[in-house]
Amino acid sequence: MISKQIRAVFSNQAFSMLLILIAMWFVLSLLSPYFFTVGNLSEITLQTAVIGIIAAGETLIIISGGIDLSVGSIFACSGVLGGLVLQTTANLPAALLTTILFGGILGLLNGFFITRLRVPPFIATLGMLGIARGFALILSRGIPIFGLDPQYLWIGQGKVLNVIPVPTIILLLVFALVFFVAHYTRFGRFAYAIGSNAEASVLSGINLKLVTLCIYGGGGLLCGVASIIESARLATIQPAGGSGYELLAIGAVVIGGTSLFGGEGNVIATLIGAIIETTIRNGLNILGVNAFWQYVVNGGVIIAAVAVDQLKRQL
Amino acid sequence: MESLLKLQDISKSFYGVKVLKNVNFDLCKGEAHALLGENGAGKSTLIKILSGAYKLDSGKIIFKGKEIHSSYGPKGAEDLGIVTIYQNFHLVPHLSVAENLALRRFTTEKGILINWPVVYKEAETALQKINFPIDARSKVKDLSVAKKQMLEIAIALSKRAEIIIMDEPTAALSKKETEVLFEMIGQLKAQGIGIIYVSHKLEEIKQVGDRVTILRDGKNIATLNLREAELREIIRLMIGREMAIEQQEKTDANGDPVMALEDVRNQHFVRPLNLMVREHEILGITGLVGAGKTELARAMFGADKIDTGKMYLQGKEVEISSPRRAVKSGIGYLPEDRDAKGLCLNMGVRENLTLAFLAKLKRIFLDRRSETRLVRATIKSVQIRARNASQQVKYLSSGNKQKVVFGKWLEANCQLLILDEPTMGIDIGARKEIYDLVHRFIEKPRKAVIFISSDINEILEIADRILVISDRSIVADLQARDTNKQEIIQFSMRLINQAG
Repeated sequence: MISKQIRAVFSNQAFSMLLILIAMWFVLSLLSPYFFTVGNLSEITLQTAVIGIIAAGETLIIISGGIDLSVGSIFACSGVLGGLVLQTTANLPAALLTTILFGGILGLLNGFFITRLRVPPFIATLGMLGIARGFALILSRGIPIFGLDPQYLWIGQGKVLNVIPVPTIILLLVFALVFFVAHYTRFGRFAYAIGSNAEASVLSGINLKLVTLCIYGGGGLLCGVASIIESARLATIQPAGGSGYELLAIGAVVIGGTSLFGGEGNVIATLIGAIIETTIRNGLNILGVNAFWQYVVNGGVIIAAVAVDQLKRQL
Repeated sequence: MESLLKLQDISKSFYGVKVLKNVNFDLCKGEAHALLGENGAGKSTLIKILSGAYKLDSGKIIFKGKEIHSSYGPKGAEDLGIVTIYQNFHLVPHLSVAENLALRRFTTEKGILINWPVVYKEAETALQKINFPIDARSKVKDLSVAKKQMLEIAIALSKRAEIIIMDEPTAALSKKETEVLFEMIGQLKAQGIGIIYVSHKLEEIKQVGDRVTILRDGKNIATLNLREAELREIIRLMIGREMAIEQQEKTDANGDPVMALEDVRNQHFVRPLNLMVREHEILGITGLVGAGKTELARAMFGADKIDTGKMYLQGKEVEISSPRRAVKSGIGYLPEDRDAKGLCLNMGVRENLTLAFLAKLKRIFLDRRSETRLVRATIKSVQIRARNASQQVKYLSSGNKQKVVFGKWLEANCQLLILDEPTMGIDIGARKEIYDLVHRFIEKPRKAVIFISSDINEILEIADRILVISDRSIVADLQARDTNKQEIIQFSMRLINQAG
């Protein structure tokens, strides 16, 4: 009985990922005295915030059987539009709202391509990857936006109680929210059902198109949120920013064990997946490995994670 | 006539169940020998043994006077010249007719380059041999079903077939195309090729066959000369003595109509459909494969659009334009293919049970506690045997899977339940449980069931009233207690018509 429970806990993807994370931390703290310091650990959560928030939305998309390759471009395009609003109106709430909502609109557009025009998610979001990136560059004329409000910068650089970075708090709030949506709303249940069997879901009376639209819209909103955090942290809005983030976001999702076939997955495991990715980057930095190698390691880890998952399925 | 093939005392079991018991069969050169029997009589098992897909347990296969090793495999069957043409074609749709004909060449010949002129020339010769005009350059996906079938025959001939097995070859053919096929069969016979012809359609068998062998419950019942045999006699031999059907209490439903269709047409039903099911009634729908049973279910559930006509639920006109509308109006549907269309296999029993219920709600949040209560009650009332409510549905037996789908519609509190082949692939014990669920369901007020099945015994057992459907129209409306299997089969084959 007890052994059964233990096995159940171990077979839980989130838990096994947590063990791997702890093991990585342990090894890295042996390798570098700098690693296991409050400063560095809080840096890791800070660095995780941007990718983690994008990956939270991506998790629901992948659970529903889809994929979003356009997250990095939506991230940049929504940030640029918000930055332009800030420059012209100097109205901070309006700028923040613009960034988030425009991200949502671009996400809805993905959903529109998929549900109404019947373009497969891979192609629809690949197209959006180009379109949104283009508009980010067109709107900003390719020039980064500087001179952001100090209040704006606080979102990326501020600390609550002088310890906890604001992005870390936003990250946790986003995950709490997405977890709640996934498990305590009808919408979340339908996202899983659609990913598990779209036809059976339709024949059970689920509004497939509406749910799909909302899933991609939500993913877009979170790209907007992530965009604000990154630009506030770097004190600039980069129209070329966020490129390659789809690799990191999808990577966090699959490292967390969410099935690319849909219907199965766990938002909390995605958070741990994102922290693992950050830890790898952070660790390689501390160990003085050339930054270019980070891409190689990251890509390799993603393939390894899915390969291990496939092996486990065969057992 | 010269004997081509002799099967002697063929037996075959699956998991301890004997599906073929000492079956004998023989085929002469230039003969079309029909194989007849109900679902589960053993026809397809016999064919699969011949085509090398199954190994037989005991018995002899004598091919052209010589006994051959009984387990030769699909490749061995082809080498012998035994070719099977299945209902779903083994053609590559995006390649041309000539390429399909030459596929074997491509894979077996050495060398890198393809000699296209030879490929086309051989294709044309092969097509000429069957005397059928198909352009060798046209893509297979653009061909009609009949032409694909002809192409399969051409391929079979190019493999030097001596025996061609045809499994329900006319299922998707029009009348005219069927004629062409029969002409083709005549030519094949003239060339000395033996045909084994499997079909439900008696008329056809009589038209095309020389002899017929009737199987029932895995046994030879008779081999008759078709020129002399009477249709009635064949049917009697096929279904056997009337089984004593367990007569459930049949209600003479005179309650209010729960659902009615009035002159409904759609893409599948060119002729108008009219039907009605009353409170407390189990309306059985039966018919041959391809008669349009599933299409009818899908039309009633909004899965296929209704073009014209009216639909009434509980006396009120409704517009069921989508499954979503159907669910909201209180219709439930158990699809024929429950794994592909009825269940979210990698989700839990719990999530599957409440799916339709949740789809009907208007709330945002889940009330997990009342969901748990609801799920627990349903698992108990429909008796789903699962380890716990969160066990993934894919690990359940087919009977338990079906109970999950059933439970889903009970939770959604639907009034009309459309069951499409609900007991297919389900063992006898679980079958009884499903029947009980159906009976319990219709006891409640304002409820009715439409029970679709091609198993006539089952329909006679469970239904109060039976509609027979044939070639996409309803050909008979019978009280279950006043009819019998023979009559239903005759209706479904259009051998008799209902007055009025």
